[in-house]
Amino acid sequence: MRLSFQWLKTYVKLPPSVTPEKVAEILKLSTVEVEGAEHQGEALENIVIGRVLKAEKHSNADKLLVCAVDTGKEMLQIVCGGTNVRAGMLVAVAKIGASVRWHGEGEFVEMKLVSLRGVESRGMICASNEVGLADMFPSKNEREIMDVSHLSGVRPGTPLAEALGLDDVIFDIDNKSLTNRPDLWGHYGMAREVAALFRRPLAAYKTSPIRLGKERRLKVDIARAEDCSRYMAVAVEGVTTTPSPSWMQKRLLSAGVRPINTIVDIANYVMLDIGEPMHAFDAVRLSEKNGTIAIEVRRAKNGEAFHALDGRRYDLNGDDIVIVSGGRVLALAGVMGGQEGSVSPSTTSIVFEAANFHPSFVRRTSTRLGLRTESSARFEKSLDPNLCESALRKAVELTLELCPGARVASAIADKKHFRLNQGPIRIPVSEMTRKIGVEIPYKEINRILTDLGFSVKKTGEMLAIGVPTWRAMKDISIPEDIVEEVARIYGYHHIPAQLPVFPIVPPAHRSGRLEQRITDALVRGLGYTEVQTYSFVSPVQVRHLGEKEDAYLELENPLSKDRPFLRRNLVGNLLECLAKNRDFSDELRLLEIGKVYRKEEKGEEMGGKNGGVLPRQDTWITAVCMRRGNDSMLEMAKRALVTALGPPAGEAGAAVCEYRVRVVAKPLPWQHPGKTGEIVVGGQVVGFLSEAHPKVSRAFDISGRVGVLELNMSALASLAAEALVFYKPVSVFPAVSRDIAILADQGVLHANFFDAIAGSDPLIHKVELFDVYQDDTMEAGKRSLAYRLTLQSKDHTLTAEEADAAVRKVLEILKKRFNATPRA
Amino acid sequence: MMDMQIEISIGKIRKEFPVELARVESVEAAEVLRVKYLGRKAGLVTNLMGELGGLSVEERKKWGPASNDLKRFIENALAEKERALESQSFEKDLARERADVTAPPLPPSPVGHRHPESMVREDLEDLFASMGFLVLDGPEIESDYYNFEAVNIPADHPARDMQDTFYLSAKDGSASGGKGSNRWLMRTHTSSVQVRAMKIHGAPLRAIVPGRVFRNEATDARHEHTFSQLEGVVIDRNITIAHLKGVIETVARHLYGGKTEVRLRPKFYPFVEPGVNGEVSCFLCSGKGCRVCKGAGWLEVFGAGMVHPNVLRAGSVDPKKYQGFAFGFGLTRLVMLKYGIEDVRLLQGGDMRFLSQF
Repeated sequence: MRLSFQWLKTYVKLPPSVTPEKVAEILKLSTVEVEGAEHQGEALENIVIGRVLKAEKHSNADKLLVCAVDTGKEMLQIVCGGTNVRAGMLVAVAKIGASVRWHGEGEFVEMKLVSLRGVESRGMICASNEVGLADMFPSKNEREIMDVSHLSGVRPGTPLAEALGLDDVIFDIDNKSLTNRPDLWGHYGMAREVAALFRRPLAAYKTSPIRLGKERRLKVDIARAEDCSRYMAVAVEGVTTTPSPSWMQKRLLSAGVRPINTIVDIANYVMLDIGEPMHAFDAVRLSEKNGTIAIEVRRAKNGEAFHALDGRRYDLNGDDIVIVSGGRVLALAGVMGGQEGSVSPSTTSIVFEAANFHPSFVRRTSTRLGLRTESSARFEKSLDPNLCESALRKAVELTLELCPGARVASAIADKKHFRLNQGPIRIPVSEMTRKIGVEIPYKEINRILTDLGFSVKKTGEMLAIGVPTWRAMKDISIPEDIVEEVARIYGYHHIPAQLPVFPIVPPAHRSGRLEQRITDALVRGLGYTEVQTYSFVSPVQVRHLGEKEDAYLELENPLSKDRPFLRRNLVGNLLECLAKNRDFSDELRLLEIGKVYRKEEKGEEMGGKNGGVLPRQDTWITAVCMRRGNDSMLEMAKRALVTALGPPAGEAGAAVCEYRVRVVAKPLPWQHPGKTGEIVVGGQVVGFLSEAHPKVSRAFDISGRVGVLELNMSALASLAAEALVFYKPVSVFPAVSRDIAILADQGVLHANFFDAIAGSDPLIHKVELFDVYQDDTMEAGKRSLAYRLTLQSKDHTLTAEEADAAVRKVLEILKKRFNATPRA
Repeated sequence: MMDMQIEISIGKIRKEFPVELARVESVEAAEVLRVKYLGRKAGLVTNLMGELGGLSVEERKKWGPASNDLKRFIENALAEKERALESQSFEKDLARERADVTAPPLPPSPVGHRHPESMVREDLEDLFASMGFLVLDGPEIESDYYNFEAVNIPADHPARDMQDTFYLSAKDGSASGGKGSNRWLMRTHTSSVQVRAMKIHGAPLRAIVPGRVFRNEATDARHEHTFSQLEGVVIDRNITIAHLKGVIETVARHLYGGKTEVRLRPKFYPFVEPGVNGEVSCFLCSGKGCRVCKGAGWLEVFGAGMVHPNVLRAGSVDPKKYQGFAFGFGLTRLVMLKYGIEDVRLLQGGDMRFLSQF
């Protein structure tokens, strides 16, 4: 919204010391976002009024004229391409040093002395869009220059800004900062804020009662009360649609609204003045029977067509509110007038509308049709229905003033049904301090609220605060709203920063710590790089993983059709990342921490009246690795597992948790059927160790094998307790080590051997697998494993015989249980 | 006679050994010398001492100590010589040994990198944890209830326009086909965890929620449909706007240095009342105005305010007894500012050329 400083000052007198910049600064700190304060004249420096004395054809260019222009002190030769230039015309001349925008586009550039086809040009005769005045001087085509001959009394050389009276400062207010303040959508409301902030009196908004006419009657029907809380209308005869006076045009232009004609301008002026959007109908186009004009406010029929003032046709539906007369849709309520029924140059009698339409309907209609107007922007904020009255009075007053032959031709139609909650809101004085944290004296509280239009009644400690109508729609309804008013006008910058005092209670939950530790270990220890990828994945990825789309949750309105699904694992995106980076290095190790979404599993509760649960959304850490030409990526994934969690159960050393790895009965389609294990803690699966299925890697365009470690951090966090380590006293007697190699079926796993060996004899202190071997000399399906056993006694030095006996026992057990034979 | 011979032998050894020792130049030669004199079977001193057995008691008393002295003398001299030789040889070796301490360990191994956003997030988690805040997590697929209704954004509230929401398809029937407050969506802000946290932990409460949020808007260098926020909430009996300012200031100074200023400006958010924008003086120009702050001197960083009583009630916290503040900021934006990253899409692009810089 554009706000004129001069317009503001008609309602609140400010001393010269209060500059526009100061006003902008204080408004920013206490009220709204002011994006800029533009001094109108500033951009027009070195641009003056000039009189074209001569305009002759350029000897060397068909479309150019060489002009002699009187600019007061000097006569300038200027080359100009304007189609409408002629001798005697008053024009805007940009002298050397002025800033102009070529053809109204791009950045402003500085005028320099130039030579055009061999003729020197000492400035430029401007088109309106070249100096930012396109609204004030609309041009018919881009080769037309700005004709200011109507300023006949102005001497050449006069600065253009002065000649046009452009001495205002325009504040650019961010509309988004006004969403909760229906009262600030006009100059008067903003003046009220400025008055409160600078402690200056606010002029009353004066309107005189309308002298009613009797020639016509207005009959208003509102089909659904909730659609329209108030509808006021009055008929005026004898109006003219000539251009409005220059003071009004200037005001409108300063607020960015293009003048049309007196009646339309009046309606717009009132909107900019107090924030109530109005509409003027051509009375002739309304349905009139026996001197009664019928106006109906109803819902549009499905498919009903509406031709709006913007020249376009809109198809309406039952959620749109329309203004109808004689069965014809004349306006889309609160959004835009129609081509039928609106004021035209030939209009002489009108009906002014000042109404209040339901904010949600206006918002929905304007959003659906992509038709955002000054009017809809205001109505959707919940305007005060009382504004209708002031607006109508003001509009009639201005019409009578600006159209000498005009007279009110009807009584005022006023259909209304609204109730405002004006309080009082009760709040103890002390509550202000308790909420704000600094003591603001009652006197100041009272002053602030009164300046903003609230009524304040104090009984003992208790304040009873009456809410003004313009804040009572929904803006102000609870004590906290009052606290805000006091705090912001008092100034947040006057509230000292203070740290709260808390009891020392160590916070209990911090699942993120474990994620951080594991990630750091993998990054620093093994050179993994952490990536972040989108939660949304493509049908192509789902297909490449060999999974079914049905298993995936899907977005109803994805940003792009490419990625409509919610990931069920982090593997897919990581495989895509590996492929993307394959030229970066022959060896890649990537990991991600992120959530995956599984609709078949139950997640957190949904709240609300109906209960229910969300899909489960666990946080996983997934690490992938590949090295060109290396097929044993599962080994690398295993190393990642030990780095992440520490040694598995049964091995010495502290681990994150007591975990084991076991074979997965049914691997997922993207997992290698023979190289996939699950990580288990206390019977619960907390992750997977695998190689990606080679077919899948290839589908993702990765040459070579990919090792994958997946850890469900949500599951791990709840099993958080670290594996308990009990210290065993160090034996003072020497340890003996023996190596054994066994030949066994491939199907017998290390875990089986390990448990059997470790449990075979109390003298076995440590079991370590140091080699796995397989070659053609062995029987098919067999492999060899080599273990180093460390034997030690707590109470004596072992003899060779004792050690040998223990090893024999181990071998016997392995033979018996697994049919494993010692290998020479 | 014997007596004489022994005397001669001792004298000879005393005279010859030092001459021979002086000629020794290696550990091996020293060993040869040791065997010659002290060898267990035929060492000169060993033999000499063997002969003492054939002497009379008196003679033994005379020559016993003398030959012991001789043995010790030779032992000591040899040991000293060996030490000297050893140290000489060390020096010779070390004179040749030179390693390049500046070279990386070989063979090369991949160097890992944390994601820049994780580094910033963890730093902030540490800061808040040090002030006694819980660090909480919440679902990214959220119900309409927690994302909107519970934080005072009822259906049809204009604030819903500000956030373009990703909804989940209703095709899954009872799973996500919920209507109204049961509808599933991608959370648009971490504020959705406020009410969850209140319900689980009650009041008083101090918590932050870092996490991913989603907006259905077209991506470009400055807009992303997926980014991260950090939400904070503090509820107790007497928490004030001044406290809000204090905590925000602490965070701002942690991020941007001890001289950073904070200012609050009114801003409407449905879940707070009063609502404010927390701005910090620009870290680059200290408030003078520059490219980073677009000439304003201030950077809008925090959205904040006093928790709306409706939100407290939704979290089963009695607004008559408790009050507090909430704040949130864009973690992603903070990361971009900190590292000078100009294109937000790099953060989730998974490009090693970007990631390997951190």
